[in-house]
Amino acid sequence: MTPPRTPADVVVEARDVTMAYGDADVLRGVDLDIHRGEVFALLGPNGAGKTTTVEILEGFRRRSGGEVRVLGADPERGDDAWRGRIGLVLQSWRDHPRWRVAELLGHFATYYPDPRDPAELLALVGLTGQADRQVNRLSGGQRRRLDVALGIVGRPELLFLDEPTTGFDPEARHEFHLLVERLARDEGVTVLLTTHDLAEAERLADRIAMLVGGRIRACGTPAELARRAAAQAEVRWTADDGTPRRERSEDPSRLVWELHRDADGPIPGLEVRRPTLEDTYLHMVHRAADDTDGTEDAKERAA
Amino acid sequence: MRGTHMKGCLRAGLQRGGIELRQLLRNPKELSGHLSNVAVALAVAAFVGDDVPGTRTPMAHLVLAGFAAYLLFQVGLVTLPQILVTEREEGALLRLRATPGGIPAYLIAKCLLVVGTAVGTLALLLLAAAVLVDGPLPHGPGGWLTLLWVTALGLLAVVPLGAAIGAVLPNPREALALIMLPVMGLLVTSGTVFPLTSLPVPVQQVASVFPLKWMAQGLRSALLPDSARAAEAAGSWELPLVAAVLTAWAVLGFLLAVPLLRRAARRESGSRLTARHRKAAQSGAAPS
Repeated sequence: MTPPRTPADVVVEARDVTMAYGDADVLRGVDLDIHRGEVFALLGPNGAGKTTTVEILEGFRRRSGGEVRVLGADPERGDDAWRGRIGLVLQSWRDHPRWRVAELLGHFATYYPDPRDPAELLALVGLTGQADRQVNRLSGGQRRRLDVALGIVGRPELLFLDEPTTGFDPEARHEFHLLVERLARDEGVTVLLTTHDLAEAERLADRIAMLVGGRIRACGTPAELARRAAAQAEVRWTADDGTPRRERSEDPSRLVWELHRDADGPIPGLEVRRPTLEDTYLHMVHRAADDTDGTEDAKERAA
Repeated sequence: MRGTHMKGCLRAGLQRGGIELRQLLRNPKELSGHLSNVAVALAVAAFVGDDVPGTRTPMAHLVLAGFAAYLLFQVGLVTLPQILVTEREEGALLRLRATPGGIPAYLIAKCLLVVGTAVGTLALLLLAAAVLVDGPLPHGPGGWLTLLWVTALGLLAVVPLGAAIGAVLPNPREALALIMLPVMGLLVTSGTVFPLTSLPVPVQQVASVFPLKWMAQGLRSALLPDSARAAEAAGSWELPLVAAVLTAWAVLGFLLAVPLLRRAARRESGSRLTARHRKAAQSGAAPS
């Protein structure tokens, strides 16, 4: 179905990337391949290493080990031309508070060889009505849409979105999702999105990677991951002596048939559950939290 | 290719500096901060009556020349570090780091803003003083020339130094406290508002290490009549020494500022920005 990938189609390539702060291993060998034009979600709980991974890819942090290519270059040695092909939307920007919206966007357009038209861009992010407003008078959602406009004014090939909808109300979130979809579908921008919100990742991403405890634990399309998650169904029933029983099975139908045959009648409390992607994700997160309780504090400090 | 790139940086930097200067003029709060300096200088000059001891130069002229030097000093070592620390915390530096040619354009813009602010307030002070309190103006082309080079060299001595300080100070709230105390100390001990010779010799010697004393001395030589040099510690304007000390500070400032600014820009990242905002919120600072 998919044509074979040429190297030019790989926008981000990471092999066995590690990151240690002192004794704390934050990344323990991360592998990533992100292809041109896809929306890729890096999903994980807080402290899993998402931000560290993204900052390594953005060229803002030196990795401890491993190989990274972003748009064909090592981010640690990315020059201005390379920077110009990347767009960034971070969580914590509250810069240029006294600039006017259109003024700021017009100014940042001058840094790029082939910028978008600032007026068209304002229309794209729905800020035409706020063009003359001072940046610090924007609402949280408007400010974030301005950040997106600033992130794409230089026509980036790769756009980083770091937890872009944190603190959004449902409507703002919905509009933001539409904007990201439009960018990816109509403009062919490759998007790397980090989030701890599974629903957002499922909604937006072509592929999802789950980063837990410094490793990619699962990676695939939302459908693939859901199928994999549902492969092991859980069968629950009440045994003859009244104790609740549960068993995991790849073939729950057979297990239920066997139970019926053994009981030779109805089974009390029979229940077959297919785990959702969310169940799997939460299961992974909890298991990792149990594994690494001891090192969590060190990671907090390092981050 | 390289040439067009440089030209792009310059263009973006000049545009940025122009916008920021316009914002300063539109912002009453910040503008009044600069204007109040001028007002204080004029008020003090209007109230001191005597002559500089041992000369027939009005004390008011020495005070105005001293305040003129202090204005330049303050723009470089108080205003600039504060702007840098604030914009670092807001994320402007990170955004420009993520923008091709952003950091050079940022530095060009800041130079333009600082020079514009310094020259603007200096010109306003001298003109307002001349009109309102019979203040001093340079005598002849030589005096204007001295005014020009002392101003330029004085800014070169304090602006890179201020940039270096702005690159290392932790946050805008602590920054002001850390800077203001030594700056005020130097204002009093550098012979800007009363003759240096009235201070104990060890204090004079310490103040002579710092640029403010020499900026004030240089501006006095430009603004006061030649006879007033009798009140100087050395009995002369020591212009070669003024040039030498200010040049030395300029060189030191550049040597410090380049690596420190580079380090500050390199250290910027999204997570560090978030961490700073969290800390600021905990310390009770109002979100901007």
